[in-house]
Amino acid sequence: MSVRGDTVGIVGAGAFGTGLAVALARSGRPVTVYTRTPSVANAIAATRRCPRLPDVDVPSSVKIIGDVKELAAAARYIVLAVASQDAPARLAELGGAIDGGHVVVHAIGALAGPDDERVSVIVERATPALRIGVLAGPALPRDLGAGQFASMVIASGFDEVVRETRRLLNLPPYLRVYGSRDVTGVELASALAGAYTVALGIADGIKVGAGPRAVAITRAVAEASRLAETAGGQIRTMSGLAGLGNVLVRAGDPDDPDYQLGLALAREERIEPARFTEGARAALAGVRLAARKGVRMPLLAGLAAVLSGKASVRDAARLAADNVAEEE
Amino acid sequence: MQARPYHDGAQDKWGTAGSAPTAGVGGRAPADEPSARLWYHRLMASDRPVREARNRLESFNADRDRVLATVERRVVARLVKEAERGGDHSLEYVLNDVCVNELKRLGNGEKAARWRALAGKLGALSEDDKRAELTSLVRFFGEDIVGNFDPRVYRFATRVLTPGLGLLFSPLSSVRGGVGGLLRELDSRIQVEGPLDVLRGIAERGTLVVTPTHSSNMDSVVIGLALERAGLPPVTYGAGKNLFTNPFISYFMHNLGAYRVDRRLRFELYKDILKEYSTVLLESGYHSLFFPGGTRCRSNMVERSVKLGLLGTAVTAYSNNVRAGEPQRRIYIVPATINYRLVLEAETLIHDYLAETGQRRYIITDDEFSRLGRIVEFVRKIVAHEGAVVIRFGRPLDPFGNDVDDDGESHDRAGRRVDPRTYLTGADGEHGEDPQRDAEYTRLLGRRLADVYPRESVFHSTHLVTRVLYDAIATQAGTRDVYKLLRTQVREVPVPEVVRALGDLRRRIVDAPAVGRLHQRVVAAGDQATLDDALRALGTYHARPVIERQGDVVRVGDLELVYYYQNRISHLAPEPAAIRSAS
Repeated sequence: MSVRGDTVGIVGAGAFGTGLAVALARSGRPVTVYTRTPSVANAIAATRRCPRLPDVDVPSSVKIIGDVKELAAAARYIVLAVASQDAPARLAELGGAIDGGHVVVHAIGALAGPDDERVSVIVERATPALRIGVLAGPALPRDLGAGQFASMVIASGFDEVVRETRRLLNLPPYLRVYGSRDVTGVELASALAGAYTVALGIADGIKVGAGPRAVAITRAVAEASRLAETAGGQIRTMSGLAGLGNVLVRAGDPDDPDYQLGLALAREERIEPARFTEGARAALAGVRLAARKGVRMPLLAGLAAVLSGKASVRDAARLAADNVAEEE
Repeated sequence: MQARPYHDGAQDKWGTAGSAPTAGVGGRAPADEPSARLWYHRLMASDRPVREARNRLESFNADRDRVLATVERRVVARLVKEAERGGDHSLEYVLNDVCVNELKRLGNGEKAARWRALAGKLGALSEDDKRAELTSLVRFFGEDIVGNFDPRVYRFATRVLTPGLGLLFSPLSSVRGGVGGLLRELDSRIQVEGPLDVLRGIAERGTLVVTPTHSSNMDSVVIGLALERAGLPPVTYGAGKNLFTNPFISYFMHNLGAYRVDRRLRFELYKDILKEYSTVLLESGYHSLFFPGGTRCRSNMVERSVKLGLLGTAVTAYSNNVRAGEPQRRIYIVPATINYRLVLEAETLIHDYLAETGQRRYIITDDEFSRLGRIVEFVRKIVAHEGAVVIRFGRPLDPFGNDVDDDGESHDRAGRRVDPRTYLTGADGEHGEDPQRDAEYTRLLGRRLADVYPRESVFHSTHLVTRVLYDAIATQAGTRDVYKLLRTQVREVPVPEVVRALGDLRRRIVDAPAVGRLHQRVVAAGDQATLDDALRALGTYHARPVIERQGDVVRVGDLELVYYYQNRISHLAPEPAAIRSAS
């Protein structure tokens, strides 16, 4: 295999992109990270620390570049690890650099674009790549960076993409990558896991107790599974790593931005949309999608009401509990 | 091969036709294309030399043995290699699968003797013997698929019989006009639209895979004529073996380049042979025709999903060409819709669709198409109507679902030029085989086709009027469910309401190009004239009037057929008002 075929290219030097790059570099995998923010590139070059993942040393073997064409030349396998609101612009840029031979997987746990699309749909429309996949699951950037155990799921219609992802990213025992063909299911599960992490942040913040917390988790899986199935995904996917596994790891993690947002909401802080996390955006997008598909999602609707300031945390919690009890 | 003029000796008559030329090759000059007039005149000019893409079918016989031998070699080699995995892949399993299926199909009769004998000795055969049996079976079924293609008859069929078929498609009066008059009549009945100049260009650069919607057994004949009229090369295609039973039709089928697909043969080996045959044909540059919907669409809805079997041979063939060092031998997918004012087999098809069990018969043998008299009647009554069939070609795609430009180059979904070879490149930089990858590409291609079909569909008065009537009846009865509606007695709609709703529907379609487009005649006619046209068409052809005017109301005589015809537009959601009052 050529060096290019063995190299992982990463778009975005955020927490996840950097964490993944560090985990890969530590086990000897060639990694090139593209960031269009010179200050980030300079900071990593100077301090070997990423501003978004400050406690982790970035090995010198991680190459940081500022030219997307250079990334396309260096790696055939590319991971898109940017915030969802930046995805359309970064993909348009990437599309001009790559060709039909590239494999593009994204690690975005949200829906994106003005129409709340799954990110793989945007990848297909904006770039020449057709061999596309989605990476999701309970792999926290901090754990990746620190060499702790982490797991991910890769979903693609192409077995080749699953195979390549496992060949390049599976680093047992620390990082394990599982395969799936349910792209739609994994993308929705990954997005909604962020939303429910916010919801659990609220629940923990107002100290609902272990019983209601368990009810919230199981009902979240149930309503999200309904949506996934209606949208063409598999009903089981939400119960897997990308969905439930993700929520269980992230809800409770003090570093998780979605969980932190939930705690802040529980303190009745007013959160401006500019401060919304991926999970918050996913909640709003999920509610719009559910309305279009005619799927009832009481938990998600309650969260969206809190986020948009239409309901207080306690009202929303009571309402969601009532709705859940009535329905199930 | 020497180019031959578009029509023999009758050129002068075209120029003197008087009124603006109707339909014909390329259809009416579409008003939205600035170069339409120029393009139309170039097309119609008397000295227009038809750039004829090389018609490889003419020399098929010299190639026949090579094609069959290639199929045999590849299928046997692949199965022998897979047999190393044992179990379901062993040669014994493959051969037994053939025997079991054939014995089930043929019962205890004389015809089954061969399979009884093979099944009986299978366990005792050595691997070499099994391999020999496999080779002979592949040859046997390969020969059956190819059939007897006689290039002399083929030439006769395309040169003489195609105009002969034109005769069938024309009212008797036109015959007096001689060959020129006949062709003119024919052209006005079969209207061909789309980017024909682009298609003619790429036909010289690669192999075309024409992929039309499928509603009638007339389709292959009609598309054959359309290609001929448009100056596009003829295509080979797989036709159901049941169609070869009628000697007249069989003659046409074979000699217009059809090979036989026997849908009764359900074992895997047969499918392998069929796909390999199609792959080798495409690799060798034989332009082909697939109906991606599989069988005729029972409901008359525009195909929303496609079968991937034969369509998948397009990417396989291109992949083989690339591996053979000939990436310039491109494969182009050409979507097309065939839009009939009336459908020959409408009654049988919709009845089958609505059959209570929902268990569709895969092969309908006893339908209108098997009766020659019915075809002649169809042609007389239906096709003897200007623009009664519109064949609309869409822009070409590559086997990966990418757009193809006028020069035959691929462009990604965002419009950037892309080398199609790169889609076959693996991590090692090689163009290796990967059937699962290719199947996934074909799924993406199928999804693109399903998007193209509605956009390129053309609505006749029959579709519009039945849609309006169906909406009105559904509103009156409070349900859109066809089974419930069939049980109600609601069958009448006031004429003014139909006319008004027709106007609304026409405006909605004009505003939504992704839904389809109006037939040129509908565009030119008013709402009342459109209703009258549909009343004429639907009142006379089918066994009983589908709709008829009784005083101030339009009365539905056959709701199944109203449902059938309106299904062509069923992808256009009902208006909110209609939903509200119907729910």
